[in-house]
Amino acid sequence: MKYIYRLGTPLIAVICLILLAGIISDLGLMGSLAEIDSAAFQSFKILFISILLEAIPFILIGVLFSALLQVFISDAVIARLTPKNPAAGILFGSLLGLLLPLCECGMIPVVRRLIRKGMPAYIGIIFIFAGPIINPVVFTSTFTAFRAEPAMAYSRLGLAFVVCVILGMLLYRFMKGDPLKRDAYSLAKANNGLASIHEQRPSESPANHSGGLLGRFGATMSHASDEFFDIGKYLIFGAFLAALVQTFVDREVLTALSGQSVTSSAFMMGFAFLLSLCSTSDAFVASSFTGIFRPGALLAFLVFGPMVDLKSTLMLLSAFRTKVVLAVTGILFILVLAGSILAERLLF
Amino acid sequence: MLTADRRRLVHHLLRAGILAGFAMYIVHLVRNDSITLYIAPRMVLYVKLSAIGLYAAAVYQLYAALQAGTGRKAADCDCDHEPPASLWKNIIIYGLFLFPLTIGFLLPDGTLGSSMAAKKGFTFSIESSLTETAPAPTTGPLTEQQLNALFPAEEFTESLAEYAKKLYLQDEIIVPEKQYIETLSTLELYRPHFIGKTIVISGFVYRQEGMTRDQFAVSRFVMNCCSADAMPYGMMASAPSAAAYSNDSWVTVRGTLTEISYNNQMILQLDVKHMEVIDALDAPYVYPDYNFDL
Repeated sequence: MKYIYRLGTPLIAVICLILLAGIISDLGLMGSLAEIDSAAFQSFKILFISILLEAIPFILIGVLFSALLQVFISDAVIARLTPKNPAAGILFGSLLGLLLPLCECGMIPVVRRLIRKGMPAYIGIIFIFAGPIINPVVFTSTFTAFRAEPAMAYSRLGLAFVVCVILGMLLYRFMKGDPLKRDAYSLAKANNGLASIHEQRPSESPANHSGGLLGRFGATMSHASDEFFDIGKYLIFGAFLAALVQTFVDREVLTALSGQSVTSSAFMMGFAFLLSLCSTSDAFVASSFTGIFRPGALLAFLVFGPMVDLKSTLMLLSAFRTKVVLAVTGILFILVLAGSILAERLLF
Repeated sequence: MLTADRRRLVHHLLRAGILAGFAMYIVHLVRNDSITLYIAPRMVLYVKLSAIGLYAAAVYQLYAALQAGTGRKAADCDCDHEPPASLWKNIIIYGLFLFPLTIGFLLPDGTLGSSMAAKKGFTFSIESSLTETAPAPTTGPLTEQQLNALFPAEEFTESLAEYAKKLYLQDEIIVPEKQYIETLSTLELYRPHFIGKTIVISGFVYRQEGMTRDQFAVSRFVMNCCSADAMPYGMMASAPSAAAYSNDSWVTVRGTLTEISYNNQMILQLDVKHMEVIDALDAPYVYPDYNFDL
C-alpha cells in the first residue's frame, strides 16, 4: 500500500502528461485516435470537473466543521457527549447521520477530528459508513428513484443499519489501538519529544488558541485551509480515476454478468466502487439498471457504493491506517454481499 | 529571513493562488452560464457559496504568507498539517491541484454526446408498462370515471396517473423540458392508451447497434446532481430520411406513437411525420422535476 502511495501520484502525473501530449501533438499514434480522443477527452473533462465541483461544497463544509470543532469545542465536551456504553455508542454512531446529514466527502475530516478529540474510534468509523446512507436526504432520493418499488428505499436503510451495527460490534471487540494514521504530531512525539516545535497536546483545552475571537477565527481558517489541501489531493486523485473509468468502461459489456445473484451483487458492488457517485444521486443511476439486474444486486450497489468507493477510500487512507481501511472494507464487502442476497430472498 | 520562514511563505503563496484559482474558476463558469453543463441547477447555489469560502481561505493564506514573510507566526498551530519536505512531492501535490484548473480554464466547455451515451448505456424504457388496463371507449368525450378507469394508479404512481389524464386529453403531446423524464415515464406506464397519439420531442440523435437504417433515438441526458450521474434516456424514432441526420445533431421530431420490438423488448417508437434540425440547446440536460409528486 505504501508503494501505491509513493507511486500513485507520479503515475497519474505521467498519465496526465501523456494525455496532454496527445492533445498537443496530433501526430503518429495519436493521429489515428484523434477523433475518438477529442470526444473521449471532452467527456472525461466534463465528468472530472463535475465530480470536483459537486464535492467542493461538501468538502468545505466538512473541513470548516472540523476546524470549528478543533478550535471551539474542548475534548472534555466531546467525551461527555459520546455514550460510554458500547451498545449505545454503536447506535449513536449509526444514527448520527440523521442529525448531521453530511455526505461522504464531508464526513471524513469531521470524524478524524472527532476521534482525535477522544471520541471512541469504533463510533467514528461506523458514522463514516452509516452517515451517507442513514439520513433523510438519501432516503428521499432513493424513494423518488424507485417510485415503483418502495421496498428498495426501506431495505437500503435497513441493510445499511444492520451492516453498520455488526461492523461496530466487530470493531469494538477486535480493534485495538489507534486506527488513525500517525500524523506529523505523533511522529514528532515518538521521535523523543521533538514535538516541541509547535507543541500542542491533544488533551489540551482549546484555550491554547489564545488571542480572543480574532485569534480563534484565524486558527479556524488555518485549520480549514490546511485540511482542504490534506483531503483535497485525495479527492482530486479519486475524481480523476472515477472519471477515467466512466469515460472508458463500456456499461453494455457489464450486463453480461447480470445473471447469477452472488456474482451480480458482487459485480454491482465493484461497479459502485469504481463510479464513486454521491449517495444523494446514486439511486437514480441504480434505477436505470432495473430489469437488467436483480433487486438484490441493486441493493448491494446502493448500500456498498456510499460506504466504500474509489474517491472515499483514498480519502480514508489519508486519515486512517492502511490496515484498518483494508480490514473494514473487507468486512463491509462480505456483510453487504450476504445481506443483499438475503434481502432479495426475503423482500423482493 | 530564516529558511523555514521562506518555505512557509512559498507554501502559503501557492495555496493562496490555488484557492483563488478554484474560486475564480467557479465565478468564470457562472459568468459564462456554463456551470449547469457540470452540475444541476439545484446544486449551483452551494457551489457559488463555496466560491466565497474558497476566496476567504485564499485571503487568509495571503495574510499568513505576509506573516511568514515578515518572520512572524500566523495564528495557526501547525499541529498536524506540516507540508511534506521533499520538493518532488510538493510539485506533484500542487500539480494535482493545478491539473483540474488547467484543463478547466484551457479546454472549451462541451456537452456529453453520443459516445458517452453508448458508454453509460442507453435506456429506452424507464417504467414497465401496465398490461391490464381497461380498453378505451371509442366515441364521445370521456367522463371523469372513464378517465379514472383508463389510468388506474397505485399508491406510488398516483402522480403519474394524474399527469397521464392531462396528457391524454391533449391533441398533440409536446414533451416539455421541465418534465421530460416524467412525461416519458407516463407514456411508458400507460402505453396502450397513448399509441396513435401525436408526440413532439427534441433531443440529440443517438444510434446504437441493432437499429435499422431508418431508426435513431431522440435523446437527452438526465442529470440529478452532476454530469457523473447523468444518464441518457430517449425515444426511438423511425424516419425514411434518418440517414441524413448525423449523430449528436439536435432535432425536433413530430410523429405518431407506435409500439415495436427492439432487442426482444417492446418499446415505444415515433413514426416521424416531420423532423427539423435545431440549434443545440443552451441547457442540453434535463432534470427530474422534484415538485412533480407534490
